[in-house]
Amino acid sequence: MPRRPKTINKHRLADLFVLLLLAGLAASYCLDAVRASTDILNLILVLPVTVIVLVLCLIQLVLSVARLRSESTAQEPVTDMLPVISVFAAYVFSLRWVGFDVGTCLFIGVFLWLHGERRWGWLFGYSISFALALSMFFSKMLPYSMPMLILRTAS
Amino acid sequence: MIDVAAFFSAIEMLFSSASPWLIVIPGILIGLVFGAIPGLQISMAMAVFLPMTLYMDFMQAMLFLTAIFTGGSFGGSIPAILMNIPGTSSAIATAFDGYPMSQKGEHNVALGLALGASCTGVIVGYSILFLLINPISELVLKVGPAEMTIVILWGITLIGSLSSGSLLKGVISGLIGLLIGTIGYSEAGVTRGTFGSPYLLDGVSVIPAMIGMFAASELFRQANREYLVDDSAARKVSVRLILSGFRKALANPGIVLRGSLIGVFVGAVPGVGSSVANLLSYVVTKRNAMNPDSFGKGNPAGVIASESANSTSEAGSMATLLALGIPGGGATAVILAAFAMHNITGGPQFIREQTDVVYAIIIANFGQAILLIGLGLILIPLLANVIKVPMTYLVPSVLAMAVFGAFGLTGDLSGPLTVLVFSVLGWVFKRYGYSVPAAVIGVLLGGMAEDSVIYSYQISGGQWSYLLERPMALTILALLVVSLFGSKLVDVLMRRIRR
Repeated sequence: MPRRPKTINKHRLADLFVLLLLAGLAASYCLDAVRASTDILNLILVLPVTVIVLVLCLIQLVLSVARLRSESTAQEPVTDMLPVISVFAAYVFSLRWVGFDVGTCLFIGVFLWLHGERRWGWLFGYSISFALALSMFFSKMLPYSMPMLILRTAS
Repeated sequence: MIDVAAFFSAIEMLFSSASPWLIVIPGILIGLVFGAIPGLQISMAMAVFLPMTLYMDFMQAMLFLTAIFTGGSFGGSIPAILMNIPGTSSAIATAFDGYPMSQKGEHNVALGLALGASCTGVIVGYSILFLLINPISELVLKVGPAEMTIVILWGITLIGSLSSGSLLKGVISGLIGLLIGTIGYSEAGVTRGTFGSPYLLDGVSVIPAMIGMFAASELFRQANREYLVDDSAARKVSVRLILSGFRKALANPGIVLRGSLIGVFVGAVPGVGSSVANLLSYVVTKRNAMNPDSFGKGNPAGVIASESANSTSEAGSMATLLALGIPGGGATAVILAAFAMHNITGGPQFIREQTDVVYAIIIANFGQAILLIGLGLILIPLLANVIKVPMTYLVPSVLAMAVFGAFGLTGDLSGPLTVLVFSVLGWVFKRYGYSVPAAVIGVLLGGMAEDSVIYSYQISGGQWSYLLERPMALTILALLVVSLFGSKLVDVLMRRIRR
């Protein structure tokens, strides 16, 4: 009979945390809806769906706790993903200030550099040309103005 | 049922000169390009080019706009298959199996399957419309909120079957998505779940959320790979393989026909359209398959089911527009605007008095489907080269395109922010075994589900007996029960008979 590992599996623990987070978000949304109005039109779908979500989360919680010490399938380390997610988040949050043209150029350049591109011609050439082409295409196609830093004055 | 004189008049209208067809090819190309670029919707393409139709006669204007519609319906499948970004919401289910096929180096076949299913779907859909335009329009009038509620309930209960991991987590994902889909203003005139953000007053933008959950989250996971397809031999773009995929789609007439029927009838219901049709067709095909576990891992039937339904729903939405003058979605709303620009009003009178024009529009779509085969076969090899781009370059480029596209959809920075939030959510969901497709379907149907439940409640006065007065609702309810428990019931009965 295989020996049961004594330590708690970190992935399973994180899984449990995600489950509790989802249940918490559903409950807080429902409470916010109740606080906004107890009118039946406001709660006719939100309330029953939230109750079902919480019941299902409770069942899943019991199952997850029982499996807390069992092995889980191999996952890529979170540390491998964090730089990509962080650079993308920085790109999106900076758009308001640096505009789509400069923001996109910086994002692509930093991403390429982080992933080992050291040929300066490719690094600068691709990030500048791609960002410019995309910014010009979308700014011409869309019926509303886009935040831009350089192309704003050019167009 | 068919007005023979009007039919021949339509043929003469279309083929007496080449001029009506000259604008079809550019129309299909515009649709293909707009459909293939995430964030640029078919309705956006039609709206941008709508002013051009002022210089055309009504017939040419209809051919041009429906050509964009036809091209765009297929164009959305290209990024769905190659990059896991559904170019339009109607290509969500195409990505379920199309992208895994690409990862296995079967991108050529997957693109051929999508092209074959789309073209045959358009032909089948418009054939159904040609034969049944009057009965379809009468049927559409009978679809009320109660029927819609049950259709959505059907979709939601089937969500669990889309989940490849834990069924429980699949249903939780779908319901969480459903709740997200109801964020913002409610029918009671209050706001919920906005956390004080003005961006959320109108709710979560569905397409940016979908791009984030499907594409961006997947790109995070793929960022450290060298190429999308590891095997260099499998990265080749082959017209022969695209054609073999095309033939494979034709070799599955059952799936195409089922998808087409779902597409026509679901597409005909205003406000539902192709995004629901392709999901429903996918789910029904998966449930009826001998190997349902292979879906989501690169099963060609998944691509055929999705593409045949989303392209056919164009015919369904045209039925509602022509017969009732009601646009089923954004694209048909633009066509309705073209009607108005040419002083024409759709509806029963239009069908009765200008049957030849209605037939001409239908017949022209057969021609468009055939032209799409040729144009698709020329363009796909060019677009499929994306598979040869190293991931170091592909990932930031596609993420940037997703951000631009999301801005294009919302017109402000809420689009890119939605992509970011949902990309992280999608990554967490995938990592811990929750179903991303189920959550996306939930977000997509959330608002519609709430509206339908509210209207049903208001009409019925809260009385369940109201359902008994709705034979169509009962029929759909019976179909729901059969689809959920039918196969198990048959198994139980067979076991008893054997005993």
